[in-house]
Amino acid sequence: MNISLKRITSTWIITILLLFFTAIILGITMRFNQGKVISIDDGKFYGIMTTHGMTMIAIWAVAGMVGVHYLLSRYINVGAGLSKFAFIMTVIGVAMFYVTTFIGHFHAGWTFLYPLPFKNSFAWESWATPMFFWSLTVLGVGWLVWSVGLLVAIFKKYSFSQTFAWQHLTKKDPEVQTPPLVLISAISLVGIVLCLLTAVVILVLSFAEIYSDGKFVNDPLLMKNLIYFFGHTIANESLYLGLGIVYELMPEISGRPKFKTTWYVALGWNFTLLFVLTAYFHHLYMDFVQPLGLQMFGQFASYFASIPSAVVTIISIIVLLYGHRIKWTITNLLFFIGITGWIIGGVGALIDSTISNNIFLHNTLWVPAHFHTYNALGNVLLILGFFTWVANEFSGSQTDPMRKLKLALLIIGGFGFVLMFYCGGAESVPRRYSVYPAEFTRAALFASAAAWFAIIYLLGMSLIFVDIFKKCIRVYSSSHSDSSVA
Amino acid sequence: MKGQEFVLVLFLVCAIAISLISFLIYKSTIKASSEDGAGIKNPLKKRLYFLLLWGGVLIIIMSVTIPKSPYFMYTEQTPTMVINVQAMQYAFIMTDETENPTFEIPAGKMVEFRVTSNDVTHGFAVYNPNNVLVTQTQAMPGYVNKLRWVFDEPGKYNILCTEFCGIGHATQTGSMRSDFIVK
Ligand code: HEM
Ligand SMILES: [Cu+2]
Repeated sequence: MNISLKRITSTWIITILLLFFTAIILGITMRFNQGKVISIDDGKFYGIMTTHGMTMIAIWAVAGMVGVHYLLSRYINVGAGLSKFAFIMTVIGVAMFYVTTFIGHFHAGWTFLYPLPFKNSFAWESWATPMFFWSLTVLGVGWLVWSVGLLVAIFKKYSFSQTFAWQHLTKKDPEVQTPPLVLISAISLVGIVLCLLTAVVILVLSFAEIYSDGKFVNDPLLMKNLIYFFGHTIANESLYLGLGIVYELMPEISGRPKFKTTWYVALGWNFTLLFVLTAYFHHLYMDFVQPLGLQMFGQFASYFASIPSAVVTIISIIVLLYGHRIKWTITNLLFFIGITGWIIGGVGALIDSTISNNIFLHNTLWVPAHFHTYNALGNVLLILGFFTWVANEFSGSQTDPMRKLKLALLIIGGFGFVLMFYCGGAESVPRRYSVYPAEFTRAALFASAAAWFAIIYLLGMSLIFVDIFKKCIRVYSSSHSDSSVA
Repeated sequence: MKGQEFVLVLFLVCAIAISLISFLIYKSTIKASSEDGAGIKNPLKKRLYFLLLWGGVLIIIMSVTIPKSPYFMYTEQTPTMVINVQAMQYAFIMTDETENPTFEIPAGKMVEFRVTSNDVTHGFAVYNPNNVLVTQTQAMPGYVNKLRWVFDEPGKYNILCTEFCGIGHATQTGSMRSDFIVK
């Protein structure tokens, strides 16, 4: 393995975990404010909310990219250059973004729903809105180059139809086998490229409005469709990248035969692309002016998105594990718990994506409830699993200290934290409220309890982080001699 | 049981069942003897059954829930009252056809809210006297969302904002809220 790929991977991991730590602290701060334990002013609260949301979405999207990039180098020829370029762009973009929120007081939420960024200039500095869009531009360019670069590298080794495993649909044992990692990465990368191209359209339309001095105005419904296509897709594809990693590593670590692409795996993941790109319509259920056909398709796509990715993955994992003696390590336990958390969050999502439920759940705490479940207890654990595995690879050390304690803290803290969101949602408490109106008598209690649970989660995370950090930094001191392949 | 309680119970039951299944799978990997060969018999067939079962469940739930979508509600009737709702940073203004402020809505009669905004997107969410969110729609500038509803329970209803609209989004003094009485 290429030493410079190892080093950039290690740099990514340390950066991601430091930002994760910070963003959790911001999350706990919000929950304590909602719980009336501390009191910060509304502008600051929403600045923190915007920073927390954007940081989390950004780091877990790139974390998945870091993982598949590293593992894809087993199958295709891909160096460290793309990853380094994306790293520099990400650091610049995130730094610019922090300037807009912390210094410019920008607080339109990470979804920056049009026309809020343009209609609140008295609450934040007037330069903050354009600078926010410029920071997105820098991030977008970095990630677009990265994902297109990875796709090109895949296409150099596999033909178009082989990449998407179409030969598996017609033949039982085709000559060229597409590894599941390649298939899932390619499917996810195509989704990411499409959503980043949509981001480009959003940026162009936004810049047109900013720099035309009000002569050019956008259409709010169109912008909402574009923004949610972008936001929903990036959040979901991050998860699929995490699953790609699990397909690659779970069997190997558990001492079981490698996963093979079969016709249903191939079919399932090809369909995932279609459903994930159209499920975003569920964000617009409460916009009754949206064409009815799109609303109906939204519920259909949200439901059936669960078949290819979730059901196919669940069965593969059950068949892999059930009744076989497995050597459990922190890595495959994180994968296993992460898959479980992801499915539980998926149930919460399915409930909300039912239009007749959405009318009373839309933008209540039910929404952060389910997406925190499949992120904090799903994707994050899948990626942490990868980090623990790769840290062992970097250091040559297989130590696994305090495994039970770490996992117990993550599970108790994590589920307690999200449960408080679900309870809030069931009591009709709206999301994104800095302080709750007095009539929600238990909302503040739920919030402060959630903050304490999140502290438990943070403790578990920190223990895992320390171990990963200690192992990752060894990659900088190791000599160049072990760089066998470039 | 109101919708919110139902979905919470449904969710918790599913979450506990899923956790239990996971735990049993985990247990089976500890108990298994070292030599291989146990595992699941006929995985391909079982997989097919599971897929068909899940697909069937989804189709059933869809056909039950889709007709209950708000888009199909009271479409055949004419509303007894039309209320124009103008949302703005940070207030809701409700008026009747003659542009007089509206504070009272008849109980048991179908009414139509015509909801729009004159600045950013807001959420128009109606909370009943027990503070349960009963219905909502979005208030988007340049568009009018028509929300039809029948309020059976008399009392004071609150309007809160359910789309993040800026610094005054949460209900504090003078912020996004309004109310009406159902008689
Ligand atoms: C235990 C750690 C975490 C804590 C304490 C936390 C806390 C919070 C809180 C309090 C909110 C605002 C909820 C509201 O009132 O609407 C929030 C929103 C959010 N969180 Fe987290 N969170 C955590 C982990 C995560 C993770 C792992 C992700 C990964 C993607 C994430 C992504 C988001 C996003 C996207 C939002 C929406 C922000 C917005 O509404 O603009 N969070 N979080
Ligand atoms: Cu509002």
